[in-house]
Amino acid sequence: MADSPGAPPLLCAEALGLRIDDRQILRGVSLQVQAGEFLGLIGPNGAGKTTLLRLLLGVLKPTAGEVRLKGQALSGLGARARARVIAYLSQEEVSPFAFPVLDLVLMGRYPHRGRLERERESDLDKARRALSYVGLSGFEERYFHELSGGERQLVLFARVLAQEAELLLLDEPTSNLDIRHQDLFFSMALELTREGKAVVACVHDLDVASRYCSRLVLLDRGRVAADGAPASVLRPEILDAVFEIPTMVTPNAATGSLSVSVVPRCWPGEGPRVHLIGGAGGAVNLTRELTRLGCRVSGGIAHEFDADHTLWRNLRLPCRVVGAFQRIGHEDVRGAAALVEEADLTVLASFPVGPGNLENLRLAARARRLVILASGPEDPPRTFFSEEGRELFTGLSARWPVKDYASLARELQEGRIPGADRPAG
Amino acid sequence: MTGSHPRGRQALVLALLAAGLVAAVLLAVGVGAVRVPPSALLRLAAWHLGFHGVSLPSQQETTILLLIRLPRVLAALLVGAGLAAGGVVMQGLFRNPMASPDILGVSTGGSLGAVVAIATGLAGASPLFLPALAVAGALAAAFLIYAISSYRGKTSLLFVVLAGLAISSFFNGLVSAILLFARQYEVSQFIFWTMGGLDGRTWRQVLMAVPVLLPGLAVMAFYARELNLLALGEEGAQSLGLGVEAAKRLLLAATAVVAGVAISVSGPVGFVGLLIPHLFRLLLGPDHRVLLPASILGGALFLILCDLAGRVLAPPFEIRVGIITAVLGSPYFLFLILRAQRRRLQLG
Repeated sequence: MADSPGAPPLLCAEALGLRIDDRQILRGVSLQVQAGEFLGLIGPNGAGKTTLLRLLLGVLKPTAGEVRLKGQALSGLGARARARVIAYLSQEEVSPFAFPVLDLVLMGRYPHRGRLERERESDLDKARRALSYVGLSGFEERYFHELSGGERQLVLFARVLAQEAELLLLDEPTSNLDIRHQDLFFSMALELTREGKAVVACVHDLDVASRYCSRLVLLDRGRVAADGAPASVLRPEILDAVFEIPTMVTPNAATGSLSVSVVPRCWPGEGPRVHLIGGAGGAVNLTRELTRLGCRVSGGIAHEFDADHTLWRNLRLPCRVVGAFQRIGHEDVRGAAALVEEADLTVLASFPVGPGNLENLRLAARARRLVILASGPEDPPRTFFSEEGRELFTGLSARWPVKDYASLARELQEGRIPGADRPAG
Repeated sequence: MTGSHPRGRQALVLALLAAGLVAAVLLAVGVGAVRVPPSALLRLAAWHLGFHGVSLPSQQETTILLLIRLPRVLAALLVGAGLAAGGVVMQGLFRNPMASPDILGVSTGGSLGAVVAIATGLAGASPLFLPALAVAGALAAAFLIYAISSYRGKTSLLFVVLAGLAISSFFNGLVSAILLFARQYEVSQFIFWTMGGLDGRTWRQVLMAVPVLLPGLAVMAFYARELNLLALGEEGAQSLGLGVEAAKRLLLAATAVVAGVAISVSGPVGFVGLLIPHLFRLLLGPDHRVLLPASILGGALFLILCDLAGRVLAPPFEIRVGIITAVLGSPYFLFLILRAQRRRLQLG
């Protein structure tokens, strides 16, 4: 599996360029694929992912640069010899004719046999094994075009397996599959890389790419914008420019992979300025809803790494933060005062109040207008660990209205700023 | 190869077709205005092979058999085989059950070549000109289709069918234009030719067709497995090590040559190239290693029987074979379209 040091990589692209008519499709693309790697090609539509895959396969000739397979020029290799090393799963539709599944899988044996040689028993064995590997034993005699989309793709994957190639090139292999088939497909591909094969796949779904691929190459208008481990490529500062949309990357706690989503659209300079005082994730729902309503949201004072702060940071909202489990001090309140005092409205979310975040209630007291959010079923409860906290809150609720989500959202939507101006004194 | 198309069934169907073809030849040479017993041809063959114990048919029977019936039946055999094989290859190449030499304009190309040969008088100058120009016309049509369909590398099947239609109309237009300037005799000669018939075919036409037809069919047979690979799509086939463009060019050329020669023998005979491959794909599955030989045998058998039907249905008149196939083929084509629509099969 592991290459001996100094051995050439399985596949190596050197400064590939492709020009068709006046259009430069790819420019200066260099990448290497080692045995055991699961390389994901990601990028926006039209970035050249499929084209690059075709160049790596050798069915398209680059107008600049060279593809090398185990150190040898790919263009110098015969088509059949190449097909014994590289297998390709395209996005093409299979013929509407009623081919039995086993016949299609057997086609993978074509490069291993002479022009007029019939398949041998060993080829049939390999085809049947490939089918059983993808979990379709017993499907040998079914007709391909009568299977479900997921089953069809698995049959085509079995065809690729029967080819016994070291390098598998897959073009958006799961773009039409449900999540179960998607997971099945990529898990099998991942297992193959553990057995020493290399996989290069165009993947549209960035979450999927991060979950299964060992390395990602991000293409942007025909160039490599980033190349490395998923965590080093899937970063908003890289993705934003390439996809031309603000993105946020959050880790998936269960899988450990990254999840990329688009930052909810807001309209800067339109809505009122709203400052949220939260903690323990109490302001997460509110942040999302108000951002959606077009409010210019700021937040704080939050503790680093808590859910509120993670979201504000991902959404790139102005916010104040102190270290995790650190006590919020007077000087922090003074630092955050500007955000609160400039806000058209401050909302005090529902969260437990302890010694660490007691000062947030004092911060709330400095607001020009304040609304106390009634705690909803999904919010952390508003509990108090000290009498001081309870007294501070009682003082606030005596002066400012308590509102639930719905009425707060409705008033903001109607263009009203809830609550009265700060009472004198 | 598997399942509901087991090898045993495939072998059986092929054997039945071969036996049926022999029987049809014997039957067809026997039936006509003068009835000749079906055994006459066998006796004649046996006698010539050295079995002098058999009784030789009468001189009249021998003449009818050898100079009239046998060349005609063999011509039907060759034309049917050629058109059906062309259909198999076109449908396999374009992965479309609606493809066939006539629908894709290859037949019209052959007709254009033939009318040029007739109108310019070349057909009268040498018997080689009509077949040669028919093949040239078919080749021209095939390569126009090829060029159009591989424009920018993408082959949309609907586009191919539309292009075939356009090329057909264009060539038909040229045919009409040429006939406008032709003399009356040539016009009637051509119109007679376009009806597609096998009457009066002689050994000369049969012997001219064989050396062209057989290599064409051999090329197709040699590429049967590659036609299967194209089921995966052109890139899929390419990734398995098939030189797709070269194979496409070669197979289109073989189809054009085979269909062109067939047309030069009989005039355009419709629907054989569509109907026969489709029928045998239903019976035997899409594996071209079986489908191609079955369609060659079946096409030959079908056309011999159609020609025979034309001779016996309304004596003393003969219904030309092209009329019989069109009458049988058009409803079948409609049935195909309706079924495709019901199953929501995509043609494009």
